[in-house]
Amino acid sequence: MPALEWGRSYLMCPPTHYGVLYEINPWMHKEVAVDQDRARTQWEDLMATLCAAGAEVEVAEPDGSVPDMVFTANAGIVNRHDGTSQFVPSHFRFPERQGETEIFAAWFARHGFVVDRLPADLAHEGAGDALPFAAGLVSGYRLRSDLPATAELARLMGVPVRAVELVDPRLYHIDITFCPLDDRRAICAPMGWDRYGRRVVESLVPEPLWLEDSEALSFCANSVVVGRTVVMPATPPRIGRQLEAWGFDVVTCDVSEFLKAGGGCRCLTLALDVDLRRPSSARASPA
Amino acid sequence: MAVVETFQVEGHIVDSLILAKILDLILEAGADYRLVEVDIGRTVNDPSRAVVEITVDDDAALGRLAEQLQVHGANPTATEDATVEVTDSAGVLPVGFYSTTNLATEARVGGHWIAVTNPEMDCGLVVDGGLGEGDVVSVRTVPMHRVLAGDRVVVGNRGVRVQAPEKPRGVSTFEFMDSEVSSEKPKGLAVRNLANRVREAREAGARVLAVCGPAVVHTGGAPEIARLVRSGWVQVLFAGNGFATHDIEATVLGTSLGVSVTEGSPTEGGHSNHLRVINEVRRHGSIAAAVDAGWITGGVMYECVRAGVPFLLGGSIRDDGPLPDTVTDVVDAADRMRGLIDGVGVALMLATTLHAIATGNILPAGVETFCVDINQAVVTKLADRGSHQAHGIVTDVGLFLRQLADELGA
Repeated sequence: MPALEWGRSYLMCPPTHYGVLYEINPWMHKEVAVDQDRARTQWEDLMATLCAAGAEVEVAEPDGSVPDMVFTANAGIVNRHDGTSQFVPSHFRFPERQGETEIFAAWFARHGFVVDRLPADLAHEGAGDALPFAAGLVSGYRLRSDLPATAELARLMGVPVRAVELVDPRLYHIDITFCPLDDRRAICAPMGWDRYGRRVVESLVPEPLWLEDSEALSFCANSVVVGRTVVMPATPPRIGRQLEAWGFDVVTCDVSEFLKAGGGCRCLTLALDVDLRRPSSARASPA
Repeated sequence: MAVVETFQVEGHIVDSLILAKILDLILEAGADYRLVEVDIGRTVNDPSRAVVEITVDDDAALGRLAEQLQVHGANPTATEDATVEVTDSAGVLPVGFYSTTNLATEARVGGHWIAVTNPEMDCGLVVDGGLGEGDVVSVRTVPMHRVLAGDRVVVGNRGVRVQAPEKPRGVSTFEFMDSEVSSEKPKGLAVRNLANRVREAREAGARVLAVCGPAVVHTGGAPEIARLVRSGWVQVLFAGNGFATHDIEATVLGTSLGVSVTEGSPTEGGHSNHLRVINEVRRHGSIAAAVDAGWITGGVMYECVRAGVPFLLGGSIRDDGPLPDTVTDVVDAADRMRGLIDGVGVALMLATTLHAIATGNILPAGVETFCVDINQAVVTKLADRGSHQAHGIVTDVGLFLRQLADELGA
């Protein structure tokens, strides 16, 4: 089974200003203090683990006004095709995170990306709600992202964007419910989707690794895949066994300080090497 | 009243099952839908687009459904109010005025769909009220010549919607009769069904309008109309100078245009009979005065006067006389007709082309219209001028009316 063709280059942002300062998902509780030193150590461990697995990591300068900037997955959507680097910055649902949009847009513009914008009135929370699979994007909507934004993304990126309705506030982004492992396989948490979304994923993923509800709530789908290595915030035994049976190396990386804000390994990273229009993975199906 | 709203959704809505979900949600809400447009993306990368027309019980249910659908990217396409322009001169509509149909029509004013009070084709729409808090808004049709300076007239098509008339469920007699207007149809069945419609309309409190041409008298149908008026089956009569003249001529002199209505033969000096009749009515001052004086003792006009059935005689340039009751200003005549159609549920167009079309012009599409003529072109003409609701019965009007009056027990 060929390994995933993207996921060897990431953008991360150190947790210098990270803290649970507001509550915008059911995991966040302002009275729960973040251990700053532990957070820093966990973040550095994650970066070291990714590098050890063969990934490169670029680091963005943190900004004191936006504590959640550490979750770079929500910065936007990257598409590098044919020598052109495209970035579509996120539009956040909650005002608490809206300040991140221009900071990341500026970073990507500085790094040679063409920055394309969504209409101002549409929310979409970037790679947190849009993961590459089946020669397109699988995009979550309802809780954080607006459905009409997926049509705009399809237009901007020139690829199909399949929308899946997220129904459980605890699994508020698609990247907590879905993790592409390679061309045929993905970790899937159906408890986060409505029945139409489940059918959409069933039709897209030939070999899904279905999560039980308790497994889904462990955030194990919020993992980072570097080639044949899966870096997981938690590894339920059944899932670890299955991944190893498929030939993956499983590394559990403690990011418990970030789980306090409802974020795991995937949330802390943004893949910079996604090519959505790679011809080899083209699949035919009606829009 | 059921409300209709059009929604649009765009994206990879087919393979994301978004369209399926939206249609399911509509049905689950007890509403109905019609896919107005589905534009499937040409390649896998192209987004698709669907326009869905939703029919739902009332505005409240529409609001609830719209909220649900919005989450899945479906938004109403017509959220804009109708554009209104203030007229600066009486009798002239603004450039680009919305030209009405005879269908039930609504205009969106201040975010609400307002039903037009008096649907009529080929008019403008005037918005009244709604200028201040709590000021009631209404929308009415206005024929061009009656628009006043300062009226707020709807321009363009935005924020205006019409409702197609509801088709009765199942096959009705007139549905299969309408496959084409033809003389080769069983008349007995048509008469019986028309009698039923008239009876139903009367039971529902609606009024019946008869529009008569002079051929009704020539073919011996006048006594049958008189019977129908006397028995309360006709509440309004529209005709011309000729019909009223020949009806009175038949009663007073026994001829119609000089031909004996009983013998069928021309009478001596008969060619001037109608002129002598008109002259005498003019001497009395009006048809009603001639009836009161005992000069007219029977016929359709007599029965109308006796029963208090309002009639309107519209004049034309070729009229003899005319009778004092004939309204020779045609614009005034049409306005007076407008004043008489309120509550009309069934219209019978009997052997007349011009008066049938004139009446068809002012009737809302909801009025069941039956056009009886020996010439099928009349029915076609009526439909071609926008009165699509007209059912045609091609037959001799005199015989037809006798059967109708018998069916109704007049």
